Parts: sequence; C-alpha cells; structure tokens
Amino acid sequence: MYGDLINALPTVLTVANFAAIVIGVIAGIVVGALPGLSATMAISVLVPFTFGLDPLVALGLMAGIYNGAMYGGAIPAILLRIPGTPAAVATCFDGYPMAQQGKGGYALQVAVVSSSIGGIASALALMLLAPPLSRVTLLFGPSEIFWIAVFGLSSVVFLLGKHVVKGLISAASGVLVSSVGADPILGVDRFTFGQLELLDGINIVILLVGLYALPPVIDLLEKPLKTDALGTGKLHTQSLLTSLPSMFRFWRTWLRSSLFGIWIGILPGAGGSMAAFLSYNEARRASKTPETWGQGEPEGIAASETANNADTAAALIPALTLGIPGTAVAAVMMGGLLIHGLQPGPMLFRENPDVVFGFMWQFLFGAILLIFLGGSLATNNFARVLRLPRPLLGAMIIVLMLVGVYSIHGRMFDVYLMLGFGAIGYLMDKLDFPLPPVVLGLILGGFAEENLRLALRIGQGDWSILWHNVTSQLLIVLTIGVVFGPGILRRIRGKRGKDGGDADGNPTP
Amino acid sequence: MTELKTFSMKRMAFALSLLCIVPAAAHAEYPEKPIELIVGFSAGGGTDVMARTTVPYIEKYLGDGAQIVVKNVPGASGQIGVTQVAHSDPDGYTLGTYNLPGMMARTLDRESDYDADSFTFLANIVNDPNVIVTSKESGLDTLDKFLDAAKNDPKPLSVGMSSLGGDDHFALIKLGSLIGQDLTIIPFKGSAPTRTALMGGHVPVAILNISEVSGFEDQMNILGIARNERSDFAPDLPTFKEQGLDLVNGSMRGIVAPAGLPGDVKAKLLAAFEKAVVDPDFLKSMKETANPVEPHIGDDFKATNADALEWAKKVWTTSPWK
Repeated sequence: MYGDLINALPTVLTVANFAAIVIGVIAGIVVGALPGLSATMAISVLVPFTFGLDPLVALGLMAGIYNGAMYGGAIPAILLRIPGTPAAVATCFDGYPMAQQGKGGYALQVAVVSSSIGGIASALALMLLAPPLSRVTLLFGPSEIFWIAVFGLSSVVFLLGKHVVKGLISAASGVLVSSVGADPILGVDRFTFGQLELLDGINIVILLVGLYALPPVIDLLEKPLKTDALGTGKLHTQSLLTSLPSMFRFWRTWLRSSLFGIWIGILPGAGGSMAAFLSYNEARRASKTPETWGQGEPEGIAASETANNADTAAALIPALTLGIPGTAVAAVMMGGLLIHGLQPGPMLFRENPDVVFGFMWQFLFGAILLIFLGGSLATNNFARVLRLPRPLLGAMIIVLMLVGVYSIHGRMFDVYLMLGFGAIGYLMDKLDFPLPPVVLGLILGGFAEENLRLALRIGQGDWSILWHNVTSQLLIVLTIGVVFGPGILRRIRGKRGKDGGDADGNPTP
Repeated sequence: MTELKTFSMKRMAFALSLLCIVPAAAHAEYPEKPIELIVGFSAGGGTDVMARTTVPYIEKYLGDGAQIVVKNVPGASGQIGVTQVAHSDPDGYTLGTYNLPGMMARTLDRESDYDADSFTFLANIVNDPNVIVTSKESGLDTLDKFLDAAKNDPKPLSVGMSSLGGDDHFALIKLGSLIGQDLTIIPFKGSAPTRTALMGGHVPVAILNISEVSGFEDQMNILGIARNERSDFAPDLPTFKEQGLDLVNGSMRGIVAPAGLPGDVKAKLLAAFEKAVVDPDFLKSMKETANPVEPHIGDDFKATNADALEWAKKVWTTSPWK
C-alpha cells in the first residue's frame, strides 16, 4: 500500500495537477472568506464542470478548495465577527476581540499557521492510516452516533454566555429549527406549512448567514460615520517569520486539536463546526488561564482553526474506504469521484491507486501551500477591506450574502428565509441572547434525534440498546464528565480554598 | 405560493410569446437552441450521473450541434425538479429526470402539483435492481436461512433501507407481503449509511441496490437479486425467482418532458434515445459508473409508469408507508 503511495507522487507533480491545487487553495480562501459562500457550495458548483477534466485535476481543485475555505472562513470571523463558514464560528470568540485590540494581523497569522498544521496532520492520517481508521467508523452505529451528538450538545454549557437561561433558550430554538422538514423515520411533514422547500429541513448556511452575518452588517450601517472602521483599521501585521516563533507555545493545542479534528472527521455526521467547537472547549479546559479565553486569546484561534482543517482529509477516510461521507463537503466530493466513474469503496484502492493516492498527496500539498498563499493573502490584502467606508462594506457583504444563499439551491425562498433569520438574529443580538448555541442546536439536534430513533427501532423499543456496548458506555462517561466535571471540581476546590468558585452560577471552568 | 406561481407563469408565457414572434416566420428545425435538462437531485448523485453520462449521446444523435444543459434543482427527493418540468412549456426545450417508483409514490403520499398525465415519457435508462444483504456476523448467509429467521424470530426482524417511499421501501413491503411476515423498517438517510450500519453489524439485514454493493461483496452476504433474469453486473448472483421467491423490484431512472410535446419534436427525441441506449460507448460508460441499463422507450416507458402507479396505489391502500 505504501508502495502505491510513492508511485502516485510523480503523477501529482505534473504542472496541471499542481496548478489545480494552487488555484483551488486560492479560490477556497476567497470562497471561505465571503459570508454565505461555503466549501460545500463551491465544490458542488464545481463538480459538473469537472466532468470533462482529468480526474486528478478535478480532485486537486476540490482538495485545494476544501483546505482553503476552512481557513478563509476565519478571515471575516476575526475582522468582522462574521464567520465565513459554519466551521469558523468558534474562531470569532477570540479572533474578533483580538482584532478590536489591534492584533488582527497576528490573529490571522495564528489562524493560517494553525489551519495549515491541522490540514497537514489530517492529510498524513488519510495517507498512512486510512484502512485501519475506517474500521473505527464501523464501530459507530446509530446508538453510538447518538451519544456523540449528545456529547457535542453537552459542550453547549460552555457557550451559554452570561445568562444561562437565555443561552438555553438559544440552544432550544436551534433544536426546534432542526425539527423542520420530513420526519426522518416516518416521513411525516413537520413545520413545513405545505412548502416543498422546507421538506429537506433548513440548510445550516441559510441560518448561519442570517443569524451571524446580517446583524453585524446592520450594525455597520447603523453607525455609518464611525471613522475608525470597527476599531480595527490597522492590523499591525508583522512578517510571518517574526511572529512564527511566538506561536510554538501552542504546540499542545495544535496536537490536541488535530486529533480532535481527525476523530470527528472520520465519524459520519457533524463535521468541521463540531470539531472546532469541541476542540475549543477542550483547549480552554486545559489552559492555565481560562479566564482570558473569549477576550482575545490567540490559543483559542489556534484550537478552532487547527481542528476545522484537521477535519478535512480525515472526513475522506470513511468516504473513500466505505463510501460514507464524514461531512457535507466530503459528500459532495464523493459526487465528484462518482462523476469520473470512481466508485468509493474498498475496490477504489485496488482499481485506481494512482487517483486515490494522488488525491491524498494533493491534500497534503494543499495544506502546505495554505501557509504561503494564505499567509500573504491574509496579511497584505485584507487590511484594505477594512479601510473601506462602512456603508460600502456593509452593502458589499449584503450582496454577497444574497448571492451566496440564492446559489445553494437556486431559489428565492431561501433568501427570504435567510432575511427572516437575520431579523431574529438582530433582535437576539440586541437582547443579549448568545448565537453559538443556536448553531450547535441546529447541527446536532436533528442528528441526535434521527440516530436515537433509529437506535430505538433497531432495539425494537428497548432503551437498553443505548448502552449495550463499550463504545456507547465510553461516550456516556465522557459526556457526564463534560457536563458535571467542572462543577464537581469547583466544589472540591471550593471546600479546600473556601473561595466558593464562580458566584454567578456560570459553569465556566 | 400558487398565486405567485401563476403570476410568474403568466409572465413567462408572455415573454415566450414575444420571443415566438420572430422565429415563427421561419420554423427552423428542432433543436434550434440549447435544451435544458432538469435533474431533481444535486450534482454527483446517482440520477445526476445517469443524466450527465446520457447527455452527450443524446446530443450526438439529435445531431446538428444540439446542446443539452444540465441544471440541478435538488430538493424533496426530486419532487421540486419534476414539478418544474411538469409545469414548463412543452416545446422540447425543457426535459427532466424521472425516478420510479418515487415520482408516482409522491402523488399518493403528498399533495403534488403533477400526476402521471403531466409528462411525455421519453425513455427510462437505468433499472438498478434491489438486493437483500445480510451482515457477516448475522450468520444468515442464504436466502432460506434469512426467510427462516424472518418467520421464526419472536420479534420482527430489523431491516435497514435508505428511502421512505422509495424503491427500497417498496421492495420491503413486497417482501413482507410475500412471506406474510412483519419486518421492522429502519430508514437510514441514504444508502451509504445503511451499508455501513450493516457492515458494522448494527442491523442484521438491509435492502440495497446492486450498484451500491459492488466492491463490498467480501464484507457482506448478498442473498439474491430482485430481477427477472440475472444481471450483467453480477452474473453469479442468483435471482430471487430462481430461489422460489417472486420478488422483482428496482430503482428506475429515466428522462421525461412535459405533456403535450409537438409530434415532430417527440419523434426526434425518441429516435435519439433509441439510438443512444444501444451505443456501445454509452453502454461502456454506464457500466463504469455502475448504472445497470434497462431501456424502456416512449410508450413502453409510459406503460411501466402506469404499472408502478397501480402497484403503489395498491400498497398505499393496504399498508401506507407513512
């Protein structure tokens, strides 16, 4: 197998294939940076055009876009508090405060270096460990996946913000939105009001753009005369070579978040956003100074950006070996493989080793290139965007949002839906309801529901199916640890030191 | 919504009538402009691959530099796309993909803005027959063992499948009524998760299509194929009929146009399909993309559709699937 890996290298290094990766990465960064456009969308638009291309050129483009977009999403997240992709939500937490403090340039550099490291780790996992890791996927049936969703949902306790009740309302409304569409088991329509457009549920990008991008834009337009654009007019960027050494202290976070990203990637389901949320929480828990998180801690950016890129190639492990996509993007990429007559599955490795292993190399090169292409793009060009007059910037973003949302399915219905969510997001912002729990609720609520019900059907209604094997039991213990661990720890410490922990009942560790 | 639709339809009709003034003078031969083919699923899915693989051959046999543009209109298991086709102008410039039994099942289990008479049936291209597969650890490695287990287990056997009201679901209902036994349906979201759950031993049995198990033969037991004769895809795999079980079912994918197509346009399209489906290069690329070809052209396709509808109606009255 490793022989095939080496044999595939010369094919990848042809000019056309390499150019495809470079173009892909640049396109990916741009697409990721534009709110409303995501990697999933870019690749699904691209797939039909690749019909006539050489398979490796097509796949190189896709690998590049995937890697680029996962970083690109961080750019508006840091500079404007608008996550460019769902996976960049956690990057906002510390990225935007850093930009406000005039450290936007450094924040972007942390993001690009971390993204690249996550991408490289993920590509290596795909190249070296794909067949054994694919067996891990098989361990996860509906009941195990249900527990992963619960584990993910439990991390909502870190996202609740200052008001626990408001945070819970946000999370619950996310779950409510996830229940729109055809019931996954019986096919009965729920909250669709007779609209075919709602039968498949609400696309995460529509909700994200409405909730996250519209309120900051309205904010931009509300105060058109504020001259120091967002307080971040200057990025204070130093050369990447000067700032790189100061990042080496993040090595633990890089390592941990890479593992998280790879793990979430090989599990079918939630994808980059869940990887970023989970690894952000874990990194904060492990930090010696958790109180600085959320106020501009560069390590927070490192955690979220490493994980969302570590998810990329890993998501293709089950996709290529078993034909199950780990993320929505991987699902679209599988379509890209199918269109070239490459059936994902065990036969793929035997019948088309050149293409499969070439594709893996392309992921690795894409991740390495990210640091060069992303580094220069981010540090040199994005500062200019921020010096635009605020009404102009706001208007541009609104146009991009409308185009992006329209292009998901090519229908106005989604645009109206997005505007509706935007109005809700604006109110929530003003009333101090936190937005991240909504996103988490939407992503994981439906996921948890579907798998719980599948598991119960398999168990013929017997609830014990949910804890009948070791994998499930481990996940249950982990979940309980995340939810109750911090409280218990605080109580123990409180008894010893008599300082009582957080008085406001905020479960932040 | 309907008001909005009629409004835009009227506007479209008006715009089209304006357009018609010019070419009406000299009625050029069809097709004189690009034809749009609406695919009801996103790019890269089974139906999309079928459409994109077929398109170049239809273009070739329509001749005169005919051009077909594929447009993906995904959503509601293809219903949004097919509804658009049903309501478009029957001028031969809008075609659409069509799935059986799904498209007819939708007219029963949902309110739909189309029915069997809304279309001109051009050609069915693919029939991907169902297979019953069992996990290695279930020990059910022959059809007889499976049927025994289904009949004698105190609890109804759990069977994984991929689409509510789709071909897998129909195959299951047929199977249940043939053996007179209840089966617990486990509806996964798509065939890949179904296959994975089976390989991981999370469900003992699943219904899939033959194209979905190619490459995975070593990791599961394939008990038979729901076809009248053996398939070229797996010539060693016996049919259920050979094994005494009268189960024939599959997922059919074809291409339709709106009802009321002008005679000459229809004839031209049908002729192009007739030639395309026997083109050796076409058959080769369909085989590469794991698409078992089973052409039904024109009236033959219409009759197949009527059969599917009749059968779906029967099932819907006796054991509704939702």
